[in-house]
Amino acid sequence: MAFLVKGNKHHKRVVFQTRAMAEKQHLTVSSSSAKPAPNLGSKNQQSGFIIEELSQDDIESITDENCLPSLSQPAPIMSAATARAAMIPEVFKNLSPFRDLLNTQTSQAQDKTVQECLPFLSGESADFKYYNYHGLPHLDRKRHIAFLHKSLKKLPAPYVVADAARPWMFYWALSGLTTMGEDVSEYRKRLMNTVRPIQNESGGFGGGNGQMSHLAPTYAILLSLAIVGGDEALGLIDRKAMWKWLGRLKQPDGGFQMSVGGEEDVRGAYCAVVIISLLNLPLDLPRDSPAWTESVPTLLTNLPEWVARCQTFEGGITCKPDAEAHGGYAFCALACLCILGEPHVVIPKYLDVPRLVSWLSARQYSPEGGFAGRTNKLVDGCYSHWIGGCWPLVEACVKGPTMVSHHAKSTNLGSTDGSGDLYSREGLIRYILCCCQDVVKRGGLRDKPSHNSDSYHTCYVLAGLSSAQHKWNFNHLTAKGASGNLASPYHWNVEHVIRQPQIYDEEDRVETVHPVFVVPEGVAEATRAYFATTCAGWD
Amino acid sequence: MGKYEGDPAWDDVVPIPQDDGEGALAQIAYADEYAEAMGYLRAIVAAKEHSSRVLDLTVEIISMNPAHYTVWLYRASTIFALDHPIQQEIEWVNEVALDNEKNYQIWHHRQLLIDHLYPSISSDPVALQKLANSEIAFLTLMFNSDSKNYHVWSYRQYLVRKLNLFNASEIKSIEALLKVDVRNNSAWSHRFFIVFSNPEYATPGSAATAYDPGIPDALLDCEIEFSKAAIFEAPQNQSPWNYLRGVLRKGGRPLATQECFASEFAKIESEEEVKSSHALDFLADLWNEEGETEKADKALKLLGDKYDPIRKNYWEWRRKALKAA
Repeated sequence: MAFLVKGNKHHKRVVFQTRAMAEKQHLTVSSSSAKPAPNLGSKNQQSGFIIEELSQDDIESITDENCLPSLSQPAPIMSAATARAAMIPEVFKNLSPFRDLLNTQTSQAQDKTVQECLPFLSGESADFKYYNYHGLPHLDRKRHIAFLHKSLKKLPAPYVVADAARPWMFYWALSGLTTMGEDVSEYRKRLMNTVRPIQNESGGFGGGNGQMSHLAPTYAILLSLAIVGGDEALGLIDRKAMWKWLGRLKQPDGGFQMSVGGEEDVRGAYCAVVIISLLNLPLDLPRDSPAWTESVPTLLTNLPEWVARCQTFEGGITCKPDAEAHGGYAFCALACLCILGEPHVVIPKYLDVPRLVSWLSARQYSPEGGFAGRTNKLVDGCYSHWIGGCWPLVEACVKGPTMVSHHAKSTNLGSTDGSGDLYSREGLIRYILCCCQDVVKRGGLRDKPSHNSDSYHTCYVLAGLSSAQHKWNFNHLTAKGASGNLASPYHWNVEHVIRQPQIYDEEDRVETVHPVFVVPEGVAEATRAYFATTCAGWD
Repeated sequence: MGKYEGDPAWDDVVPIPQDDGEGALAQIAYADEYAEAMGYLRAIVAAKEHSSRVLDLTVEIISMNPAHYTVWLYRASTIFALDHPIQQEIEWVNEVALDNEKNYQIWHHRQLLIDHLYPSISSDPVALQKLANSEIAFLTLMFNSDSKNYHVWSYRQYLVRKLNLFNASEIKSIEALLKVDVRNNSAWSHRFFIVFSNPEYATPGSAATAYDPGIPDALLDCEIEFSKAAIFEAPQNQSPWNYLRGVLRKGGRPLATQECFASEFAKIESEEEVKSSHALDFLADLWNEEGETEKADKALKLLGDKYDPIRKNYWEWRRKALKAA
């Protein structure tokens, strides 16, 4: 406790010093924005896209009491700040040149966010003991790893609001940990014990024991089992029951409900094809499916056509036809299409690519550098994945396949200077490392500086960082252990993006994350290979 | 002793405890009330019981965990099995929705209620109008605290289709929201849906980014003027620019029909004056459409170098596409 108080004192002192500097350099920086404000749980703050809804505010407010004591050493006064500032491009330091005078709620929220982020982006936040020459702090792996391990321990009673979405906690933690290079095999046995009572005899997994099967927790559990790996873990999934259950979710219009009688949306389309592809399920629609007719004979009939109906006039993609374009659903739709076919074939076939790319491109903001989920909404770290993760898919679509022959098991990563990029990798990396890290409280990553970290944001901010640091190519020739149905997503190869100068320190490069399945490179391939070889028919 | 354990109304039910598995990950230390209620719910679901006490039990569980989709779906099936009054349920759902703005399940539940109610009133215009009025009034209340709430908007689009609300009053309520905040993209998006998906004239199945010959010319003119007026208010607001492009696309009209207008906000020829990057983007596409690739290239280069450098890679890609064409 004494340590905590001491840490806080140092923290305040440093804040004071840098604030004085900040005011000298940036008259527009409001004094309160030099330090992340506590989350006041404002109900009006829209938290990011969540593939299965948790009440994020509730969880954020209750996990405060779990805050780690501040471990930060007294930071030196930043004598190199001026030199460093010179290395930060103007576009990440200055307000947009176009600022309309008309003042509305949207513009107020946007201005507030910019003011909140600027001190972090310009190398002036007291949260960090270190900024490199390019104005970037380190990725605080140690804290983020500790945060995710802790999220798998026993959770206090207020987490009851996450009771129907608990499998996400497994996936977010395991995915985030492996992205930071952690070995998670220690969790294999416990994960298996945890998910066994969650699987339903009628197929699929629910949010917990005794809960109805639902595509979101089923997706999260399948990916979690794939991440810890091993025949025993994968073998506990009842494939045949899963196939029958997917048949019950299939709708006559082509899409999938999330649960029997539940909502039909583009998450359902994505989760369903992830499951079909990884488990190597037969594509025939079970005859007892409510959608089955002679003209709807398979699980995939009319599915890409249904996804196409989710593109809006803006070019982005919505949860279901008629609604507003949204980053989270854009990723689900594109990843779904990239399981159904090759990106350069299937995306142009079903979507208006120029409008799509225009809309995706508009999601990146300056000076923040990060992505917003919708037009005129705010940046949020989780879109580092939901929008950031669209880029490898769209870039592969516009570039076409590479024909280089890679060996499936090659460990020699090639590298590229990133030419052919459609967005600013630098901007995203700056937003992530500068604005999304909680390095003073409990660790973990976050929406923006004024928000508390949580495992959802930790997982998806790290996935976005990985995507920004690597380049995925769709390769015609390589099929990593997969042939047969829905084999396209096993054709991706990755390269390091290496640029001179590289703005972040090489030690802050994270692991490679598969652009379609969002699991560590190699995991999806191994999972598919397991089900292809051990389950040729029904087991 | 728990609430249900000591209640004679429940003494025929043997609760089923939760099987968490050994050493479960992220195990939640439930409050006793929640653990007990869920034990009774598992027993009820296993017995497929649909009775009025199920309604009480699900109210209690939802009050502790409103995101519990299983409980919502089971409640809905119980309501339909019991023929429980839908209006009464909607009133209760209103309270829960106002207390849980981010909740997703409530809106699907509400949709199930309306789907169930609809056949019984579909031939009664007065009842339909009454339902539409009360639903819209409630959504307006929700928008008072968050006018961009995604789930509420998605529900509204469902409602418009269900009750055929492609009408002037729907447009009016969108205009009211845009009057408060012309940057509310959810409202713009809803307007586009109302105008261009109206089954009275819209071609069924016409994609949102496709030309639809069914849209009346007068309507296109009106929507073009509406977006232009909004752009004058705040030229860097992307929502009406996207809307304007969407309208022109639906109407099959060339961007060049708006060259004068867009040039108000971006001049790059003899003198250079740019008030909106979106105007310059619009002009680049327009000049490309008209075959004036040099001008388009200049606009895109200016965007990347000067007016919108965060998107330089994107503008460069567009420049390459000009040359390839």
